[in-house]
Amino acid sequence: MTQKQELMLSVKDVSMRFRKEEDRAGSLKETVINAFTGKLKFTEFYALQHVSFDVYKGDVLGIIGRNGAGKSTILKIISGIMKPTAGSVERHGNIVPMLELGSGFDMDLSGRENVFLNGAILGYEKEFLYGKYDEILAFSELHDFINMPLRNYSSGMIMRLAFSIATVVEPEILIVDEILAVGDENFQKKSRARMMELMSGGTTVLFVSHDMNQIREMCNRVVWLDGGTVRLQGPTDEVCSQYRL
Amino acid sequence: MTKIDLKRTGKYALLGFGVMVLLFTVGAWDRLFAASVFGIRLIYIYPGIVLLLGLFLLLYLRKMKACQNSGKKCAGLYFLQTIHRYRFLIEQLVERDFKIKYKRSVLGAFWSFLNPLLMMIVQYVVFSHLLGIRGNVEHYAIYLLCGIVIWNGFNDCSTQSMRSITANAALITKVYVPKYIYPVTKVLSASINIVLSMVPLLLVTLVYGLFSNPHLYLSKAVLLLPFGLVLLVVFCIGMGFFLSSLMVFFHDIEFLWGFVSTLWMYSTPIIYSLSMLEGKEGAQWLVNLMRFNPMYHYISFFRTIILERQSPAFAEYGICLAFSAGLFILGLLMFRKVQDKFILYL
Repeated sequence: MTQKQELMLSVKDVSMRFRKEEDRAGSLKETVINAFTGKLKFTEFYALQHVSFDVYKGDVLGIIGRNGAGKSTILKIISGIMKPTAGSVERHGNIVPMLELGSGFDMDLSGRENVFLNGAILGYEKEFLYGKYDEILAFSELHDFINMPLRNYSSGMIMRLAFSIATVVEPEILIVDEILAVGDENFQKKSRARMMELMSGGTTVLFVSHDMNQIREMCNRVVWLDGGTVRLQGPTDEVCSQYRL
Repeated sequence: MTKIDLKRTGKYALLGFGVMVLLFTVGAWDRLFAASVFGIRLIYIYPGIVLLLGLFLLLYLRKMKACQNSGKKCAGLYFLQTIHRYRFLIEQLVERDFKIKYKRSVLGAFWSFLNPLLMMIVQYVVFSHLLGIRGNVEHYAIYLLCGIVIWNGFNDCSTQSMRSITANAALITKVYVPKYIYPVTKVLSASINIVLSMVPLLLVTLVYGLFSNPHLYLSKAVLLLPFGLVLLVVFCIGMGFFLSSLMVFFHDIEFLWGFVSTLWMYSTPIIYSLSMLEGKEGAQWLVNLMRFNPMYHYISFFRTIILERQSPAFAEYGICLAFSAGLFILGLLMFRKVQDKFILYL
């Protein structure tokens, strides 16, 4: 450990409580009826309980755990999409979440228009996006198709465009839910290389994966979530050697 | 937080203020000239009021500058910073909504002109010729068109913004963006249509006015239209905050609003006029209630400008402003209170 590292992200005692879906009223009528019949009670469960960890500059932090352990929830809380029930998250740098590619796409707009729309949603600056437009187009290999509406694209083309937009930045904190390798074999190779380049380029990365080989290869620290709590955290080898499902 | 160029913003703000004063002074000159406050002719103190407002704006700009340098918090500065930071996104979202609306139609944005016209023709024929309820309203066709344009604008804005949060659920659950942006951009993109429909309104008034007896012509009061538009849009944004946040928790709002807006439309003098109600037995309560109907005030605002060719009474500005600011603030407070829960219900 080098001393005096710059703190990028600090998750402090975060808890997240949900109400169970089945008890939720979907309409005004149901709420009123439930209120009258005294059924307005909720079963609650904690997706996360007292989770704390720090991430320093240049760290590649792996988050592992079973399905439903709270991995996606913690990523959403860190990226600001969800507000935790208790606890807080301190962020020192701009975050680019790569949770689901292309969720801001509009099928009626052309590829070009979607580059700007999606870029704006991801928080890129206008000048930056105009400067990088050619690079995005080249990486996506869409050529002349870029001026066609997105509804005429194949799903592979859409994924390629989405990936190209999402990875054009060099964010200070990058959040990745599973390594994204999309498209045909050729593009998969290219996109994997781009991910590796991003993750090893000095950016701080939070990385969720089920692939232990990838975790061992990429991460220097690992947090193991189990049932909403931190089971173990520390250097990769230490945690991975104890990690059994 | 990003630093913003307050010097440039200040220049724009002062320029905007100057344009507003100019529009208002020219547009409402007759009223300004005639009115008096506490026995003093308004025209004597008007320059003083303008100067005072300008000075206030300047002082506030200076305060924001001081806040930016010292890092202190300040509502105006925070507002500007948010706009600055997300203006590209706002731009993109408004552009998307507007583009998509007419993307696959042949006539495109021309529909914004055509729609109110066609609506007016149908309603004019039905109400004026078939049912004969034009009453004693002069220039009934224009009277009707004013009402339709403003009401449709409001209805469009509120319905669109009502769905803004639920329709963008895919985004809200994946990327962090201040959620205010969704209803606001929906209202802004829908209000482009209101602005566009001003064109057929004024054109029809011009053409109709030439052939009508007595003649109806546009006067310089038209310069006051932007004030009415801004007030209406602010009102719509407030409504959008309300409806969109309710919609997340109760999808019934969508159907309920369809009913409420129809009820509201018929209780607003769009087709009929207030004087027709006054003559009716047992309708006095509706006339009395009309004072509390914001849409009545907005529509009258526009009608006064176009049909009476003069500025609305100064009290009307106050009433419209009170409704706009009131609903905007209430809506904003409510939206702010519940926005963190959206994600759990989407």
